[in-house]
Amino acid sequence: MDKIQTIGIPRGLMAYRDGVLWKNFFEQLGYSCVFSSKSDRKMLEEGTAKAIDEACLPFKMYLGHVAELLGKCDALFVPRMGGYKTTEKMCTRYEALPDLIRNIFRDEGIRVLTVSYDWYTKTTEEKVYIELGGNLGKTKKESKKAYTYAKKQQENWLKTRNKKQTQLLESKKIKVLLAGHPYVLHDAYMGGELATLLNKMGTDVLYTDYVDRSDALKKSYDFSKVMPWLINREMTGGIMMLRKKVDGIILVSAYPCGPDSLVNDMLIRKIRSIPVLNLTLDAQSGTAGVETRLESFIDIIRYQKAGGYGTKN
Amino acid sequence: MKEKAYLGIDIGSISTKGVIINEKNEFLAECYLWTEGNPVKATKDVLHALKEQFDEEHYRVVASGTTGSARKLIGSMIGAQVVKNEITAHAVGTTTIHPDVRTILEIGGQDSKIICVENGVAVDYAMNTLCAAGTGAFLSSQAHRLGVEVEEFGEIALKAEKAAPIAARCTVFAESDLVHKLQVGCPKEEIIAGLCKAVAGNYLNNVAKGKKIISPVVFQGGVSKNAGVVRMFEEELGMPVIVDENGHLMGAFGIAVLAKEQQSEGNFSFDVADMEFKTREVTCGKCANHCEIICVYREGRLIDSWGNRCDNGAVK
Repeated sequence: MDKIQTIGIPRGLMAYRDGVLWKNFFEQLGYSCVFSSKSDRKMLEEGTAKAIDEACLPFKMYLGHVAELLGKCDALFVPRMGGYKTTEKMCTRYEALPDLIRNIFRDEGIRVLTVSYDWYTKTTEEKVYIELGGNLGKTKKESKKAYTYAKKQQENWLKTRNKKQTQLLESKKIKVLLAGHPYVLHDAYMGGELATLLNKMGTDVLYTDYVDRSDALKKSYDFSKVMPWLINREMTGGIMMLRKKVDGIILVSAYPCGPDSLVNDMLIRKIRSIPVLNLTLDAQSGTAGVETRLESFIDIIRYQKAGGYGTKN
Repeated sequence: MKEKAYLGIDIGSISTKGVIINEKNEFLAECYLWTEGNPVKATKDVLHALKEQFDEEHYRVVASGTTGSARKLIGSMIGAQVVKNEITAHAVGTTTIHPDVRTILEIGGQDSKIICVENGVAVDYAMNTLCAAGTGAFLSSQAHRLGVEVEEFGEIALKAEKAAPIAARCTVFAESDLVHKLQVGCPKEEIIAGLCKAVAGNYLNNVAKGKKIISPVVFQGGVSKNAGVVRMFEEELGMPVIVDENGHLMGAFGIAVLAKEQQSEGNFSFDVADMEFKTREVTCGKCANHCEIICVYREGRLIDSWGNRCDNGAVK
């Protein structure tokens, strides 16, 4: 097998959460990394054509990102993430990801680089990445050093975002918290659109994943002790941390998401103190439907603050 | 000096509504007609009809607003001061006429919504998302199948002794249920009553799911004209359901009220009803998103455009 020089990272799914860690880890070990470009409609169309129709929108988008990286790298990093704890698992999509990618792109002959861990085999993130380094022929010492450095970079990256967001809390504008999976919230073609529309409506946008992760995770246990999904936990914790500081919460979900359909329904029933909008994104082109829903929601916040619709006769 | 008047137009997928009100929120003119897939023509027809009823000797339109799914297009066409979503327009309209309302149920041609009100301001809402089951369009197509005018549905339904059970969750299932009921010889009025019940049930189980329905309840939108559905709602909810005689105009009325309450005034002329408007959909090729940009032309000149996701697609 040829030597790996360039590792491709599809800009989708958990890349929005752990991409900084991945990139720095590989670069520390002497590889160069290439990310696919930002999501657009063409990628979604390509991904949709390769996926079964029941797959979720972010997964279809991910396939589009994989397709874009074909021929641009020597191997693709597609992690298999089961989760580290029974109450902090990932959805089945992640448990199957490398297999799905290998099979869907079997004719293209891609080389998949992966990690693999499950909640029932006790391991840690550090061990998982040292193993990955080992698979690439690196020593334990080299791998550990690369992981430690990458982890630090990842934490700094999040700290910067967290700090910026904390400053935003001082703003006098209406503050809307976007709650959801990072790969929905920050994808240029999915949640990215929402922030643009909301900014145009004169509001500030905050995100549930721009908070301290371990704090959010801890908080989520106050909400539910048994909820099994890591990302929904981080999102729930983020809501718990910020709900008193914002004017409204938008639960952003990409259709169809199993964990979201359960957790978001629970959140809607439990959060009674501020307006909550449940927004489901689909592959529909055109933003008219979403715009109407966002505008209605912002109106509710605005007129409630004003105490009425104006001078009624 | 002429008195001030305010115009509101609500352009839905199925019907277009227009009202003109005075400072006291009294109706000076009103019109309701089918959109028939052509919002520009429907608006022109509405304007012609309003002009005939409107007393131009004593009043002058100083501000206008548009709402509904074609609000942007019609807003730039008539030069509206306010262009707003239908949730806010309905909430404003309804709370102006029924200040104590707590829940607004609305079923229109292709969508349905619920608005929860507290102290005269909307606090929560929901709209149907992926599915248009149980809306006006569904009832119209079933009426066609039964060979009955949809306008007669309510009256027929009230005559039925009982409602035939029809699946409420999905239009496709409801339709196969209906065909089955017809084939086993179920009386037509019971089927129609069953359809009305299905509409109410579907609404409460989907759009209104998880929302607390508090009295007074006002029901509006085209389907509120169907007395059969109204009765089914009352039975299901166990509380009276108010249907305003102007319920179908509430969005247009609400946006007219908002036009009145915002500060700016502008020149409005009924002449726009006789101008030529054209829209063109252009697919932008400047990036891979291929946005569909809508361009609106008045008398051949571009007056507005939208639909671009980024500035590259801005039409100047």
